[in-house]
Amino acid sequence: MELSRSWQIARDALAAFVTAIFMFPIFWWALNSIKPISAVFDKDRVVWFDFFPTAINYAVTLLGYSRSQLAIDAGLGMGVAGTEAYDSRSSILDSLVVSMGATAVTMMVAIPAAYALSRMAFRGRDAFLNWVLGQRFMPPIAIIFPLVITYKWLGMRDTDNYYLGWLGLMLIYALMNLPIAVLLLKSFFDDVPRDVDEAAMIDGATRWETFGKIVLPMAKGGIAAAAVLCFVFSWTEFLLALFLTSDIRTVPVKIQTFVTSTGNEWGFITALGTAAMIPGFIFILLVQRHLVRGLTLGSLKE
Amino acid sequence: MAQFFRESAKLQLLVMTASVGSSRSRPNWLTSEHPLPWLLPASALMIVFGVYPLIAALLKTLYRKNAATRREIFDPLYNWTKIFEDPRMWDALWHTLLYTLIALTFQLVLGMLIALLLDSDRKGYGILRAMMTLPLVIPPAVTGMMFLLMLNGSFGVIARTIIGMGLLPTGYSILGNSTTALAGVMLAEIWQWTPFMVLIMLAGLRALPKEPFEAAAIDGATPIQAFFKLTLPMMSKVIAIAVLIRGVDLLRAFDYIKVMTDSGPGTATETLTSYAGRIYFGNSDYPLASSVAILTLVLVIITSTLFMRIFKVKL
Repeated sequence: MELSRSWQIARDALAAFVTAIFMFPIFWWALNSIKPISAVFDKDRVVWFDFFPTAINYAVTLLGYSRSQLAIDAGLGMGVAGTEAYDSRSSILDSLVVSMGATAVTMMVAIPAAYALSRMAFRGRDAFLNWVLGQRFMPPIAIIFPLVITYKWLGMRDTDNYYLGWLGLMLIYALMNLPIAVLLLKSFFDDVPRDVDEAAMIDGATRWETFGKIVLPMAKGGIAAAAVLCFVFSWTEFLLALFLTSDIRTVPVKIQTFVTSTGNEWGFITALGTAAMIPGFIFILLVQRHLVRGLTLGSLKE
Repeated sequence: MAQFFRESAKLQLLVMTASVGSSRSRPNWLTSEHPLPWLLPASALMIVFGVYPLIAALLKTLYRKNAATRREIFDPLYNWTKIFEDPRMWDALWHTLLYTLIALTFQLVLGMLIALLLDSDRKGYGILRAMMTLPLVIPPAVTGMMFLLMLNGSFGVIARTIIGMGLLPTGYSILGNSTTALAGVMLAEIWQWTPFMVLIMLAGLRALPKEPFEAAAIDGATPIQAFFKLTLPMMSKVIAIAVLIRGVDLLRAFDYIKVMTDSGPGTATETLTSYAGRIYFGNSDYPLASSVAILTLVLVIITSTLFMRIFKVKL
């Protein structure tokens, strides 16, 4: 549909404006992370740009510096002590390890299942697909209490053994990611023409060989996209980590501990929050092309 | 004759080796030709972390937790009668449904409008569409904190703007007031997930065939007529899928509520999931918390099944 020139300009402006509204919270958040405390907590007005930017919030949360030491070094006299609790380096490590581990487990389990669902005809195929899909619909709250009890009983909680705690979280995240991974990968395997692996099998290749040598390499891009989505979903997960762990604190769980009864440390919250967004932003731009397919579990393609 | 015997002996050997070969090979269901080995790892994961905990949670609801002795006594109906007589559960159910319906409506309508706006091949629109996807990957707990900051009555930028327009009294705390707290939480929800709708609607719009629209334009149909008579009906499958996926997520809303209001003030923003969490963190009454959790599951199953039947969607 052709629009007249002035209408077209109006539309461009509106499109840019709406997008700007949606970008505003992210911008505001990042802006607050470099504000000194006095600029965040100004009771009389909202401070926009008239402040001296500071990196202190990042230094404390990401590098583990002490705020009081930084204040003394800068010649500002005594700073507020007791910022050890805001050092988030171990949380970032927890989040990274758990998300990467969960992605690895998910892919190892999901790739073969997706291949079988894409290529083989067998009884109960639809039932299995529905079972997988059902995991996407299941509220995590319904399974978390028995898992907490079972982990406790097995000595697998992070309070018993930190590394087993990592493993426990990875495994439950793998279940959470499974439906997206399986259904998305199935749709990518469906895109690889069947003739190719049928030809290979006529030449005497086993299923395993056609899978490893033909289908897998041809679906590489799709597998990467599925892995990226699994990583992002694990990175952003909150409920399961909150209930299941206490020593291990993934970034989303850590950040809400900065809300305290004596006042919220907005500087640290915004700094860690900004840092927590970065991996997601990078990854989403990488898989932009497959995003719709991923979010709709393979049922819509772009 | 000798030739014949040699040939038949060769044949015999061939048959023998073949039969030996097949009897020594593994049974069919252990080879890669059978689906079982392919599906086994995923099945194991789903049984151990999906089926088992679900059954365990169901069994748990049949026990009564004695607060004094901390023992669990078999009493199948105790928790179920307790939660159905519990006004707090009904409130939580009401909040869950309200939250789902309102947020879903906003996300759907806004998502559709923004998708229509951004559906253009002109220069720069690709960047706008890419920017629009960014909120999707922010951890919801962080989004909750973002809006907690912006909705703060004394220094939050959104709250100050609303107060500045004279819509709310000075220093009014949106999240601290039971009449507006749920709306505040919904704002975060709507901000983060409207892009989800935009993205899916855009995919739907881009897949539409061009011809019907050209024909309609020639027949003199207005763009609004074309939208309601052509776009909407042709997009119905896409819309239904988006609503289903979002709706299921909304019914189990937890992250924003936990971070922004912790179900409060009082129980003003308590949903089923956050109520279950509160019981669990409050007095570790696993059986009662499990009943509320199972109820959330039942709600999700009923609504999604009904939706899929009525609108004939399949994922």
